[in-house]
Amino acid sequence: MQLNKTGLIFFPAFDWSISPTHPEREERLLYTRDQIFEEGIPDSSYIREYKPRLAAKEDIRRVHFCVPDVEDQTTEAHLISAGSALKLGDALMKNEIANGFVMARPPGHHAMRVVHGNRGFCNTNNEAILVEYLRRKYGLKRIAIVDTDVHHGDGTQDIFYHDPDVLCISLHQDGRTIFPGTGFVHETGGPGAYLKNINIPLPPGTGDEGFLRVWREIIKPVLNKFDPQLIINSAGQDNHFTDPLASMRVSAQAYGKLTEELQPDIAVLEGGYAIETALPYVNLAILLALAKQDYSKVIEPQFTPAAVKQDEGITLYIDDLIRYWQDALSEDVPSKEDLFGEGKVYQRKKSIYYDTDGIRENQQETVQYCPNCPGLYQVSSTARDQVGQGNSIWGLSIPLFACDKCLEKGYKMWEQAIKEGKEQKTFAYYYLQDKKNDNYLKE
Amino acid sequence: MYIGIDVGGTYTDGVLIDDSKVIRSVKIETEDNLSISIQQVLAKLLLNRGNKNISRVVLSTTLITNMLAGVKKPPVGMLLLPGPGINPQSQDFCSDYILLKGAVDYRGRVIEEIDFGEVDSAVRHFLDKGITSLVVACKFSQRNPSLENRIEHYIKERYPQVDVAPSNRTSGLLNWIRRANGTAFTLFVKNDYNQFVQRFEETITEYDIGCPVYILKADGATLPLEIARQYPLESIFSGPAASTFGALATTQQDITGIMLDIGGTTTDIGLILNGIPLMAERGIYVNGYLVPVRALALSSLALGGDSAITHKNGQLVIAQRKGKGCYLGGNSITFTDILVYLEKSKLSSHPKIELALQEISKNIGKTAENIAEEILNQFIARIDEKIEEMFLRWEEEPAYRIFQIISGQETRPQTIICLGGPAQSIGSILAQKRSWEVIVPQHAEIANAIGAALAKTTLKMDVLIDTEQGRYSTNLPGLSGTLSARLLSLDEAKTFALEIFKGKCAEWKLVTAGKELEDIEIVYEEGFNIVRNWQTKGKIFQIGLQIKPGLVNLLNEGTDAIE
Ligand SMILES: [Zn+2]
Ligand SMILES: [Zn+2]
Repeated sequence: MQLNKTGLIFFPAFDWSISPTHPEREERLLYTRDQIFEEGIPDSSYIREYKPRLAAKEDIRRVHFCVPDVEDQTTEAHLISAGSALKLGDALMKNEIANGFVMARPPGHHAMRVVHGNRGFCNTNNEAILVEYLRRKYGLKRIAIVDTDVHHGDGTQDIFYHDPDVLCISLHQDGRTIFPGTGFVHETGGPGAYLKNINIPLPPGTGDEGFLRVWREIIKPVLNKFDPQLIINSAGQDNHFTDPLASMRVSAQAYGKLTEELQPDIAVLEGGYAIETALPYVNLAILLALAKQDYSKVIEPQFTPAAVKQDEGITLYIDDLIRYWQDALSEDVPSKEDLFGEGKVYQRKKSIYYDTDGIRENQQETVQYCPNCPGLYQVSSTARDQVGQGNSIWGLSIPLFACDKCLEKGYKMWEQAIKEGKEQKTFAYYYLQDKKNDNYLKE
Repeated sequence: MYIGIDVGGTYTDGVLIDDSKVIRSVKIETEDNLSISIQQVLAKLLLNRGNKNISRVVLSTTLITNMLAGVKKPPVGMLLLPGPGINPQSQDFCSDYILLKGAVDYRGRVIEEIDFGEVDSAVRHFLDKGITSLVVACKFSQRNPSLENRIEHYIKERYPQVDVAPSNRTSGLLNWIRRANGTAFTLFVKNDYNQFVQRFEETITEYDIGCPVYILKADGATLPLEIARQYPLESIFSGPAASTFGALATTQQDITGIMLDIGGTTTDIGLILNGIPLMAERGIYVNGYLVPVRALALSSLALGGDSAITHKNGQLVIAQRKGKGCYLGGNSITFTDILVYLEKSKLSSHPKIELALQEISKNIGKTAENIAEEILNQFIARIDEKIEEMFLRWEEEPAYRIFQIISGQETRPQTIICLGGPAQSIGSILAQKRSWEVIVPQHAEIANAIGAALAKTTLKMDVLIDTEQGRYSTNLPGLSGTLSARLLSLDEAKTFALEIFKGKCAEWKLVTAGKELEDIEIVYEEGFNIVRNWQTKGKIFQIGLQIKPGLVNLLNEGTDAIE
């Protein structure tokens, strides 16, 4: 009906914070609220405002192994933040809106598949929850997530690392200089999803020019080739030249430009902690760009051309980075069989640190090769906090597009695992995530 | 004794209420000169009774609605100070404007200075066009009105012929477009409105009524006459508020239901939740522009008892009023005639109805009965659609706090409260379809005047206190300023907010002295730490206070006969 409208959920969670002085506190969207209300945004003919809703526990289980359970890792605010994404996803699929902006907190892109606690201010991954919800409910298959937060979207990467139908692209400040310390070019996806994970680590000091160039010269061609049915933008705003947690030099104008060119179907707010100098303006620029409105006058009071200018050295570095990706993407992709190698099993050990909760997690992932589907995924994970408390868990994930053989095999493995578990008590909890049948079990 | 007067488009109604009983009511046709209608109603109400023991007079009037009818673009000039943000050229301002330098941000900090040379050329531009009324609107002027006020003073000093108004004194609502448009409409109606208030005051003096006299606002609250002069726009659309509160007064105070008010040419649909009508908190449309007037949330249809029945390309249509209905001996076949024909109205039939239906029948080849049934179904379908729209509006009201979302949705009301001539029959049909309960309040025909008489004086205030900037601002017109004391805790902030609120209540004669605490409630309270570089630099408090809307009195069941 109103195909030209941009859907908006503004959910500032004025009654939720990690702690009273934490960057992720009640104040974060206060001035953004002021700006968008004073501008009369909710009255605009091109905006349709929606009321947030709660996500269901199933929506979370479709993505995460929450330890011990969903209610231990989520507050109402998390369920509303995720639910807001789902609400706009529904509005989009019902053609009520042309696109949408989930301006909600808390954020989610650092939340991985296994959740022992809060990492990078995130517990549950809003974008991943949206992707799996849309694929289940509306039968979508190929979805792209473009993460423009200054921090590597490591949670989203982890969740879809072995999924060939979800293209994850993250541009961010180089992990050697900022949390979470990952997001390098060699993290290209598992053997079954090779080059479906693209990282673009940018040097500190990258300005509008570099930010837009990597979009145009790396991300855009990859997206075009993948031809997604839907594009989700993890619209973090901490690349801003005033952000206190990062060192980039990007303006509201550049964020607007990128949004205008990327044309995401749903943008989901992630980080951004310059709550006065950036957020009111960047949020507004993104929203206007989504609605195809003039954002050229959304200029921060602190803006000067010098503030967003990058050094010569950075420009040269980015030239190299672009060349690297252009070469890598033009090479022939080895076959999946070859990528899995001799043993036909992919194994990886990972150590993950939860900065907010001070938890150290060690995990081992296994993916089994299947010629007909992405293959079964297993994870065993042990977490310990500073006083040595924590849980060991085992999880099995049957992919959404699993073949019948893998499905059958998956349930056999599950039966066996819980049988062994009862005898040997290797793990405290066992999880089965059967995305194909939307069936989630815990023992 | 209370007096309530509602001046409507067709009728002017008045009631005299004593000891929770309607002791006299009057209904006359509204004259072109509304002041004369008011005088006549007062005269009839007080006939042989005198003015003794009258403690309250409340007036609801369509004056502003009439004055603004058809005014798409008030002859007012706007001086706009947008600062950074949306391009104002893409926004809906109701009058011509000129953009000026000068900007304030969300914290009330001046981030760009005024260029008075620009102000001069803007004023001259409008004067050259013969425009002498000017609005000054600056984004975030509620957080810091100084730029608007300085421009106002500058213009007043140099251009005495100009009538200039800053937007911060129309409203403190966060929405500068609504403030600018509201100020433009206010400037446009102000002088005529003041003359009207003057005459009303004279009438009151004539009858030697010494009690407080109020004007009803669109949200069912009241303003003392002398205050109302400054805020003419607030009295727009007070008619539906009057009717709704009237319906409440004659049913139960905590009722939940759908309010269906079918008038001659329009139908209003509202929601009452536990005795409180659903409000359009942020404002309403006036001639297609949004203004910052708090009003009842209504879904309106240009359909009513007087709507004409006609046909176009072989299809039956319900069209605008064309004239007196056949049942009154007129020549226009109306919706009321259809109800009479189908025996769904208590009004007596008239041979003209049958004739008019036969005429249509000849043209479109359907029987008179089929035509009547089809029209009735059309009418009901359109009301049904609006009721659904109302429900969705209520259920989809944006929410910004966790508790609002957790508390969950209440179930949809299943009671329909019918006001106005055809409402009862339409309401019954709708109710039957959905198995709802139908309530037709006593005195439904004068519910508007009763509502005016009994609507409680209420006020809602949102305060924002910024201790780092040392400023506070509110949604109320002109009410903002600097903090003299350091407020450290939410409790201190609440005490401060309460003091401002009480001050406004006293000025607007809203609470009984000594009874403030019974009447005032805190709707929400929030404290935010302002943290910069990991240090707390101050606090922002948001506090909402209100005097709960409602009624001064309920009516008793057994009322006296109406004269
Ligand atoms: Zn971030
Ligand atoms: Zn398989």
